[in-house]
Amino acid sequence: MILAVRALAWREFLRFFRQPHRVVGSLAQPLLMWVLLGSGFGASFRAPGLEGVSYAEYFYPGVLLMLALFSGIFATITIIEDRNQGLLQEVLVAPVPRLAIVLGKVIGATGVTLAQCLVLVAASPFLGLWPGWGGAALLLLGLVIATLGFTALGVVIAWNMESTAGFHAVMSVFLLPMWMLSGALFPLDQAPAWLWWTMILNPATHALAIIRIPLAAHAGSWVQTPYLWAMTAAVVWALLCLLVAALQVNRVPKGR
Amino acid sequence: MVVVQGVTHRYPGRRKVPPRTAVASLDLHVPEGGFVVLTGPNGGGKSTLFRILSGLQRPSEGRVRVAGVDLFQEPAQARRAMGVVFQKPALDPHLTVRENWIVHGELYGMGRRLIRERLDESLSWSDLGGRLDDRVGTLSGGLARQAELVKAMLHHPRLLLMDEPTTGLDPGSREAFLTTLVSLRRDRGVTLFMTSHLFSEAEAASAVAILHQGRLLALETPDRLRSALGETMLVIHTDDRPGLAASLREEGAGVTVTERGGAFLVSGVPEPAVLMEKLWARHGKSIRDLAIKRPSLEDCFIHLTRSSTFEESDPENPS
Ligand SMILES: Nc1ncnc2c1ncn2[C@@H]1O[C@H](COP(=O)(O)OP(=O)(O)O)[C@@H](O)[C@H]1O
Ligand SMILES: [Mg+2]
Repeated sequence: MILAVRALAWREFLRFFRQPHRVVGSLAQPLLMWVLLGSGFGASFRAPGLEGVSYAEYFYPGVLLMLALFSGIFATITIIEDRNQGLLQEVLVAPVPRLAIVLGKVIGATGVTLAQCLVLVAASPFLGLWPGWGGAALLLLGLVIATLGFTALGVVIAWNMESTAGFHAVMSVFLLPMWMLSGALFPLDQAPAWLWWTMILNPATHALAIIRIPLAAHAGSWVQTPYLWAMTAAVVWALLCLLVAALQVNRVPKGR
Repeated sequence: MVVVQGVTHRYPGRRKVPPRTAVASLDLHVPEGGFVVLTGPNGGGKSTLFRILSGLQRPSEGRVRVAGVDLFQEPAQARRAMGVVFQKPALDPHLTVRENWIVHGELYGMGRRLIRERLDESLSWSDLGGRLDDRVGTLSGGLARQAELVKAMLHHPRLLLMDEPTTGLDPGSREAFLTTLVSLRRDRGVTLFMTSHLFSEAEAASAVAILHQGRLLALETPDRLRSALGETMLVIHTDDRPGLAASLREEGAGVTVTERGGAFLVSGVPEPAVLMEKLWARHGKSIRDLAIKRPSLEDCFIHLTRSSTFEESDPENPS
């Protein structure tokens, strides 16, 4: 099982790094965001109720989230490519637990996405946002959990898609609202009730919290109640997506 | 090695697409060490049966046993016993040949050391010697197929399942691929099961299974299939088709006439030379050529299905 997961994740990394356009594209994205954040385009920004918080401080976690969310989900598009060749079928006929197939894909995609996120994390000291080593460790943990959840969600969606074009279409409808309703644009506590519920059910909301709190409150932040709640919710979401993905992969289509 | 009992597969159908029976109450036995080629026209149900045998699809009814266990009840054990070669390439083009093999070996629970041993061993029967560290995307079609075959054999399966493995290969590579299969069977006793829509590929088989509209029309050795058509048959091209047809109808009940590609094929003739002379005397003016030949497997197939729609040289099999 572990051998199979490792082999599949390893293949995911290799094929990513062997495609220069994917590597360049995914490095350019965080670098571009770094430049935008650092350029001071919003020096006059004041979020209502958040006086005294710099715009970079406010947006940086949201941008990190965006990277984890979009790249994480799009990294799973390789499932559709695999199916169009015989690569997916080959894995399905192998004597490996179906969960291993999901984990291999999820861990591989998570690794690729995290590499991207780390480029942007490396920007934090230059933006005056360095949370200290303890905070950085917590931030990393948050990114790992969030990305695992997003890639597992990506697997659930990609599994049911026949073409990469369809995947793009569905994603462009879902991803942006998910990101916007995560609290990355406006704080949760100012939303009307219906919106509040949408946001609280949105996995990206909790992913944002476990990224933002370590940045703001440094190493001690894990003892805070909101952090613990968000972490619990994010872990539950990730496990749920993994479960659904494994159940889907386990289903063998049957004739009538 | 493979026992198929009463397998029926109906595709559920979708909106505007009615359900469709692709395989109907099929019984099939592939003996240990055998080489069964499953052939038949496109749409006959070959790929459907292949997907069932490889465990990717569950039949509507019936049971499948592979290497002594029920495929759908003990899938892990059955899967370990088989190697599968798909029609679509199942090697990652961005990875090298060696990397692809390592991933495969690890999926089958093999350690790196064992994989390395098996790789050395496989170089003795494949032509991939100098290409191990080349990306698969740079290999020729024939070599890529060989790499695929080596991969499927890496965990030493007792059964090798292949779906149209020679699709897209030039005749030379096709020949080489089949030769390799035959020697794998001879030297290691691997049981081979392969689908193909080319009858010429069935010549080396121990049995040919003909699947037509989801039913098994025959499961015979190539020789016995051919002998059902008699020793010889006549092939006649003529400008006067009605006239020739009338003369042929006068022949005895054992004589079968089929028309294909503008030619009359006459089999079951007790004394072909006599018939040839008679036809030449009567229709010599309108006959363009008149030849005698041994029946091919394709002739047997036509004889069995009486279908004139079959195209031997169809390069693509969409499903
Ligand atoms: N996924 C599918 N859904 C519905 N019908 C299918 C599907 N795959 C194949 N069929 C139908 O089942 C029949 C057998 O097809 P197939 O097994 O692909 O035959 P072959 O491989 O011999 O060409 C055909 O009539 C085909 O249209
Ligand atoms: Mg087919």
